[in-house]
Amino acid sequence: MSEITITINGKLCKGQQGDTIFKIAQDNGIYIPNLCYHPSVARYGACGLCLVQDEKSPKLIRSCSTIAADGQVLHTENDRIIQARKIALELLMSDHEGDCVGPCRLACPAETACQEYVKQVALGNTREAVRIVKERLPLPASIGHVCPHPCESECRRRLVEQPISIAMIKRFMAMDQLDKADRWKPEIAPATGKKVGIIGGGPAGLTAAYYLALKGHEVTVHDAMPKMGGMLRYGIPEYRLPKAVLDAEIAEIAETGVKLVNDFKIGRDISFEEYRKQYDAVVVAIGAWKSSPMRCPGENLEGVYGGIDFLRSVALGDPVAIGKRTAIVGGGNTAMDACRTAVRLGAEEVYVIYRRTRSEMPAAADEIDEAIEEGVVFKFLTNPDSIIGEDGKVKAVKLQVMELGEPDASGRRSPVPVEGKFEYLEVDSVIAAIGQRVDVAGFDVGASSLELNRRGIIAADELSFHTSLPGVFAVGDATNKGADIAIAAIGEAGRAADVIDSYLAGAEKPYRKPYVSKRVVTEEDFKDREKQPRVPVVNRPAAERRCDFKPVNSGYTAEEAMKEALRCLECGCHDYRECRLISTANEIEIHPERLAGAKHEKFTETRLVAIERDQGKCITCNLCVRVCDEVVGKGILGLVGRGFETVIKPEFNDPAVVAACKDCLKCAEACPTGALKILTAK
Amino acid sequence: MRVIVGEGSCGLAAGAGKVYEALQTKLEGIESASLGITGCVGMCWLEPIVDLYNGKMLAKRLVHVAPEDADDIAAAVQSGDLSLVDRITIRKEDEDFLRKQTRIALRHCGVIDPADINDYMADDGYQALEKVLGTMTPEEVIEEIKVSGLAGRGGAGFPTWFKWKAARNAAGGPKYLICNADEGDPGAFMDRAVIESDPHSLIEGMMIAAYAIGAAEAIVYVRAEYPLAIVRLENAIKQAREAGKLGKNILGSDFSCDMRIKAGAGAFVCGEETALIESLEGNRGMPRLKPPFPANSGYWHKPSNINNVETFANVAWIILNGGDKFAAMGTEDSKGTKVFALTGKIKRGGLVEIPMGKTLREVIFDIGGGIRDDKEFKAVQMGGPSGGCIPASLLDTPIDYKKLSATGAIMGSGGMVVMDENTCMVGMAKFFLDFTAKESCGKCVHCRIGTKRMQEILTRITEGEGREGDIELLEELCAAVKDGALCGLGQTAPNPVLTTLRYFRDEYEAHINEKKCPAGSCAALLTYSIDPSKCVGCTMCARKCPAGAIAGTVRNPHSIDPEKCIRCGQCLAACRFGAVSVG
Amino acid sequence: MNTCSCSKSDLTLVDKVLEEYAGTPGSLIAILQKAQAIYGYLPADVIYRIAEKTGNSPAKVMGVATFYTQFRLEPVGKYMLMLCQGTACHVNGSERIAAAIQEELGIGDGGTTEDGLFSVKHVACLGCCSLSPVMMINEDTYGSLTPDKALSIIREIRAKEVQG
Repeated sequence: MSEITITINGKLCKGQQGDTIFKIAQDNGIYIPNLCYHPSVARYGACGLCLVQDEKSPKLIRSCSTIAADGQVLHTENDRIIQARKIALELLMSDHEGDCVGPCRLACPAETACQEYVKQVALGNTREAVRIVKERLPLPASIGHVCPHPCESECRRRLVEQPISIAMIKRFMAMDQLDKADRWKPEIAPATGKKVGIIGGGPAGLTAAYYLALKGHEVTVHDAMPKMGGMLRYGIPEYRLPKAVLDAEIAEIAETGVKLVNDFKIGRDISFEEYRKQYDAVVVAIGAWKSSPMRCPGENLEGVYGGIDFLRSVALGDPVAIGKRTAIVGGGNTAMDACRTAVRLGAEEVYVIYRRTRSEMPAAADEIDEAIEEGVVFKFLTNPDSIIGEDGKVKAVKLQVMELGEPDASGRRSPVPVEGKFEYLEVDSVIAAIGQRVDVAGFDVGASSLELNRRGIIAADELSFHTSLPGVFAVGDATNKGADIAIAAIGEAGRAADVIDSYLAGAEKPYRKPYVSKRVVTEEDFKDREKQPRVPVVNRPAAERRCDFKPVNSGYTAEEAMKEALRCLECGCHDYRECRLISTANEIEIHPERLAGAKHEKFTETRLVAIERDQGKCITCNLCVRVCDEVVGKGILGLVGRGFETVIKPEFNDPAVVAACKDCLKCAEACPTGALKILTAK
Repeated sequence: MRVIVGEGSCGLAAGAGKVYEALQTKLEGIESASLGITGCVGMCWLEPIVDLYNGKMLAKRLVHVAPEDADDIAAAVQSGDLSLVDRITIRKEDEDFLRKQTRIALRHCGVIDPADINDYMADDGYQALEKVLGTMTPEEVIEEIKVSGLAGRGGAGFPTWFKWKAARNAAGGPKYLICNADEGDPGAFMDRAVIESDPHSLIEGMMIAAYAIGAAEAIVYVRAEYPLAIVRLENAIKQAREAGKLGKNILGSDFSCDMRIKAGAGAFVCGEETALIESLEGNRGMPRLKPPFPANSGYWHKPSNINNVETFANVAWIILNGGDKFAAMGTEDSKGTKVFALTGKIKRGGLVEIPMGKTLREVIFDIGGGIRDDKEFKAVQMGGPSGGCIPASLLDTPIDYKKLSATGAIMGSGGMVVMDENTCMVGMAKFFLDFTAKESCGKCVHCRIGTKRMQEILTRITEGEGREGDIELLEELCAAVKDGALCGLGQTAPNPVLTTLRYFRDEYEAHINEKKCPAGSCAALLTYSIDPSKCVGCTMCARKCPAGAIAGTVRNPHSIDPEKCIRCGQCLAACRFGAVSVG
Repeated sequence: MNTCSCSKSDLTLVDKVLEEYAGTPGSLIAILQKAQAIYGYLPADVIYRIAEKTGNSPAKVMGVATFYTQFRLEPVGKYMLMLCQGTACHVNGSERIAAAIQEELGIGDGGTTEDGLFSVKHVACLGCCSLSPVMMINEDTYGSLTPDKALSIIREIRAKEVQG
């Protein structure tokens, strides 16, 4: 064998006479994508992803199956190659019927791997479950308590009877691990020497801090409040999220080496200009801490408070005076927190004033139910017309009676006043929980002024999180669309951490939403499933809850959590993390939907005893057939038909021969996608 | 007088079999008459054809002959008064069709009896093989072919001598000679005609090639759709073997080579040489990766040479007449003659062999007589699913490998399908993509799914569901499929789309933007209407309409409800007053 | 499940073919062609026998049998109507012929009439382009078709069958 030298992408690469271009590239550390190549079988050349160009040839060539010639000059990444590769992937994906991940994960703003941690809970492995959730969410116990769980709204189990209690499972597993000595701890990359300053210690700031610290950066979080946690601490009442749980999770974040500095305010303790100079990158995660005004007469009277201001005063242990009768204006989760806190503070009459009806309320349904149980009175279809005062203090609210009109842009029916119809409500205080605004004081000075959007919120690029100032990133409630749920802020912060890491390494790579394949599923698909209602969580009696700030319930026991987790339909592909198709597809930006057309019928079969075959996911690379033929020598699988209709089938109609494959599993191991799933271990 | 019935597939399809039977009865007892058959002379539009010969002299050619004509023919033959059959004699202008051709590959077609080796021998048959085995070395044979400039007539136009030399020089053995008679291009039938009409010419050409490369076995891979060709070739092989023209020690020389037929089973992709080899070995016809090329590793991974039928049909002539004489015909890049199957909306459709360099216009108008019903010429499709549509503005393009490629079409195997103003060019592209998507072997992604997606996009355009951006999407797919497909089938599959886009983009745009088919061919885009000033209220259309879409009372103008109309066109056909129009 | 144990074809017929080709490698397609000529199609048990005797796995034999359009895995009608899909036939209106046949017989490409008389198959170019549009019924070729002409040919065959 003689040595040859070829040039790939300008790099001289040595190989042996008779080697393929692909092998020489691989041996020399040059990556060429491929799906149908396998070292143990003969060259085949079906997938067309390994195309490369020889400077001397007008045609693109398949590197996996072309023998290299000495002196060849090759390219693996030019526009023409990328385009051919991109179309190949789009074509493959246009005929790939499968769910890479479950709808739960797609619905989660932080893309947490719900199905995977639920599965670990079902297996009794909460440590692994926490490890998985912490890939995206460093505060699982806290979020498990408070999250309005968009994941559950999309859970396909709802097509059978009810969705999985994902949030409750998360709360259980994280609480189970919280004080375990052997709990999972992340690995921290070697120090990079880069410094990151994070302004704001809420869920966004803490999340960014955690993931940047894991990447080896030196991170400091500065917060204006006396303690870390942001809205989780100062906006969410103790009965929903015990401060001790939050403290424990913040302590874990601190363990990664993040420095936490409280009572530190930009503009007061340091100028933003100065602050920026101290860090290689800055993250602004200051949240939205100003209550929106009601814009009605009387809102400046004594006894009118903002919702979050009210909650903060309670959290700080110095509640504002609300009297015996209070009215909360608004229909969101803050309104629910406020009314139920008011109950717990001893108010005798607590009203919620909401201009639409219950079905339009943005607050979580169980929060509303529990508030009603606790004696809160809902005044639907009313809106404050004015607040009537006496001696400068609140005496009553004049309510305009409303009715529902035409649906608006959001699809909700708009409330319209019923002319001349009013009600009066005698109250001692009014709490306006109708929205939050960003306080940008300190970030609007001189050259270090952050650009704001039309609504006065910090403008940041949606994908890079970069603000108008170089090196300054912004995430969470303080940016773009404004206040949202905690998990949304956490999601942004996690993605921003990756971008900032790339920025610190010298080449900023904006976030790109990973491409995933999705399957369309209807109730019909589950009609044979046995009904199995979700495991209920029993709340403490309302009469008891009203009197203290202890949690409303104690969550799942281990048995309950496991039972509930077992209800999971496991929609997402078992092979998502190993799937070569999806990892290759995500190397470039693809849009298979533009090539949508006929697809192979999706079905699964288990004729190969040890293996479940999913036709929808098969990409007809023929590796299973070739491995069974060439490596195992059995030829149990074969191609059937031709053209687009080609499918791979086990040897037809003979169970005896099919059963012969029981112990081998080599086909499933070679499969580049999740089309072949091993059912029984070797 | 010899009475010869043309019994090619076309002739038989037109009723030559029944004519033969009728003649057999009527000529019985006429001593001066003998009845025989020949293959296809290539004047397919005149079938069934009966030739009357005096010895070797063609005395009269009778066309569109029906069994009922047998009496007159018998009378003419018996009396010697050929004016008795003037009624069915070929017209002068139709004779131009043959007069303007130069026949080498087709030299015996329609002239000799394909079932009789003696007929072939009487017309210089097997003399070239005798010359080669007696006086030439294999290298000299290859040199002669090199001088002739003969290139592969299957479509690619690769120099024949080069392939022969590569196979001759390849190490290892045994070596195989393969004839690709898997004539799959829809619209091409010259190879079928050669095998049916002149099988010995193929055998002789192949034996010469086998000698040149040193092959011990020759295989002819014939399409399953050509049963008559298989029967005639089987018979010819048997005769040739008995006559010592193939088998052991051919013509008494040291050279031995036997020959057999392998019938294909219906797969267009098997026209691709490596897929053909897979099929020969009994496998699914899925192309192999090249290199290695078949010259080094082909059938059973042994050195193999593959040429198509027409290529072999030229060989004996070249050996007998000299390569230089062959090379004297044609152009700088393309030597000799080429056979075309001229079909479609043409007046005189059939087989045309002309020297390279003649223009498309000469073939279509001078030889083919122009467009049927004197409609407007729109385009000619060349090269089948791998080729393209050439518009009227390029009719003066000389027939030459390079010049045809420059149009976006290719020479191909010789299918020449002529289209008139009523042929929708988007529909043509769709037709070919329907074909390739169905015929794709399914191995590589670009072809398996890419052709399917192109076909789907073209389908929706022809059905009035085309979207803005579809043209660009097609172009993008075309480029990627050309680059990414594994074999020739996929790499050339976009050509019908690309050429129609290049020359008839406005038709695509009309389909997509205006939901109109300018050729009036895409059913979903047609609107039928009744002109009230012409309609006399005869109710015929309403009675014919299968959808109940036509309303009106007797003697009052009718009207069509476009919602109910299924665009079957029956009203148009039924109206005797020209009141129904389609647009 | 249809297994090879419930064999119903007379396998001695295919065995003769297999004997003829024994020891000739690469004969699978020819064997399948002969088997189909015997049985009219390729029954499962015949495919199994061919696999067993040729040393191929049934999966491979199935792969070959489903690759080529000539092979059929289901019985076909007494009259096999093959409608040419070549370019010339397309240009000259084969689609209208297909529609007329579909309406007459109630079956499309790949179908067989309930009485088992006709099967319809759309086939690649038959090479009779000058007579387009063209169809073949069993061994006979019919050219220059119009919808009416195609229907009268079919009706003639049907009438002949009804008589006797």
